[in-house]
Amino acid sequence: MRILHYLRVYREFVNTSFSEAMTYRLHFMLLILMDLAFYAATLGSVSFIYDQVETIGLWKREEFLFFVSFVLAIDHLHMTFVSPNFWQFSFDLRTGKLDFVLLRPIGAIFSIFFRTVRPASLVNIVVPWGCMIHYGMEAGLPSWGWVALPALVLAGLCLYVSLEILLSMSMFWFVESMGINFVRIQFQRIARWPDFVYGYYGRKLFTFVFPVLLVGSAPVRFLFDPTDYWPLVGLAAAVGATWLLTGVFFRLGLRAYESASS
Amino acid sequence: MLRRLRTEGAKWKQTLEISWSNLMAYKMNFLLLIVGPTIVFFFVKYNVWTSIYAMDGVDDIRGYNLERMLGYQVWVMIVGFLAQGYMGTRLAEDIRLGRISSYLLYPFEFWKFHTAKFLAFQVLEILVAAVTLGATLLLGLVKLPEWEMLAAGALFSLLVGFFWFAVSYAIGLAAFWLEETWVLRVLFMTVSNFLSGAVLPLEIFPRWIRTLLDYTPFPYVTFVPVKIFMGQATGSLWAASANVLLWTLLAGLLAGAIWKRGITLYTAAGM
Repeated sequence: MRILHYLRVYREFVNTSFSEAMTYRLHFMLLILMDLAFYAATLGSVSFIYDQVETIGLWKREEFLFFVSFVLAIDHLHMTFVSPNFWQFSFDLRTGKLDFVLLRPIGAIFSIFFRTVRPASLVNIVVPWGCMIHYGMEAGLPSWGWVALPALVLAGLCLYVSLEILLSMSMFWFVESMGINFVRIQFQRIARWPDFVYGYYGRKLFTFVFPVLLVGSAPVRFLFDPTDYWPLVGLAAAVGATWLLTGVFFRLGLRAYESASS
Repeated sequence: MLRRLRTEGAKWKQTLEISWSNLMAYKMNFLLLIVGPTIVFFFVKYNVWTSIYAMDGVDDIRGYNLERMLGYQVWVMIVGFLAQGYMGTRLAEDIRLGRISSYLLYPFEFWKFHTAKFLAFQVLEILVAAVTLGATLLLGLVKLPEWEMLAAGALFSLLVGFFWFAVSYAIGLAAFWLEETWVLRVLFMTVSNFLSGAVLPLEIFPRWIRTLLDYTPFPYVTFVPVKIFMGQATGSLWAASANVLLWTLLAGLLAGAIWKRGITLYTAAGM
């Protein structure tokens, strides 16, 4: 019953976002163009490197490009369904508009981080998913892997979003919190490369302390080798731990929040 | 005449001082917004290239061994600070929310105000670049070039900074028409990062792309200044500088045209 209520509210959020998106058509087109440029640059960079070398780590071109497409598929869902809300949260905190969000008779975290959807990004779904299917076929993904793929993308997205929400809690203590959003983007940048490219300390830091490397590496490593499932277990544990911490820091943050003057 | 110059100089000086105090009011934000992304970008590339060169049989990629590749990436970071730091994020918000009205009443033109803000920002960026260079020298990631190269590279990067500012300013002014201008800015930064050689040295790109890039300003944004710092620039430095000036002039004229048309649409009531 409660889930149905949330789904109905979410449907209204989506409807509002679509109406808004249709009002600003040039902005809509530019968003599509921006995403396409980003995909081209990310895939192009890796492809150009592979023009010079046979393998990076243990992965050949098609395996590496499958990984990149996998992360881009997560990134695409993130850009469409969650990303705009982090910027809005920063703005709402600065201007005191968060008061109105907190007054709504619905979970505040849900209302803050899932209120806005970016329909223009949805249009580009064919690019990352098309690339993922293409390179997955080239890399010889097994049939069970294709079945598990959507669930693994969602698992990666879940950790990605959870970590970003936890990081965003720090905005309560910053007067000017745009910098936190830039830190968030830097973590995305780190997650876009497989864990094995990082040195010992970098890998430990971003696997155990702030586990952004699990977002893409854990599911893809499992897809290539099902016996390598421990990172996936780590991903699930990280999601749980992140949500616990988010609850704690959200309550502390609300105590520190001083409305428009914060 | 002298009095007018003195008054004008005082306005620039005041704006510079106000901009410095504004930038330094939120030091952590400045670090996270400006310094953080460039350092993380370097951290990722450092790891990626180190892992690539760790493979058996990979000693040289298009004339770059590991040391030279890491050196290239350090200079990309330095050029990033000197030339590509300015974002002008608040300009669009000011236009959209009708906040530029107060600026229009000031006896100091809008573009001058923003140019002074940019200059104040550049002073801080020079300091950040100097500290970063010192740290990378201490860590042995890069070798100090001859002072002529260092001076030429720094001056060229600062010249590119004016081009970057002119483009950022023009993008910010697009807020007269657009609900949000960050999309244009991110689009420009994404394309520029990729095509300027900030991710990969341009030698690694396919030849047909490099030929096309010769007709764009992108190589001047990162690749050329980095090569100057590394003492490997080919071609005339004067010709390269003239090219950057030309692109800056074009971007400046575009910004002027956008302002001229945009201000006629401005209603000052939250557009």
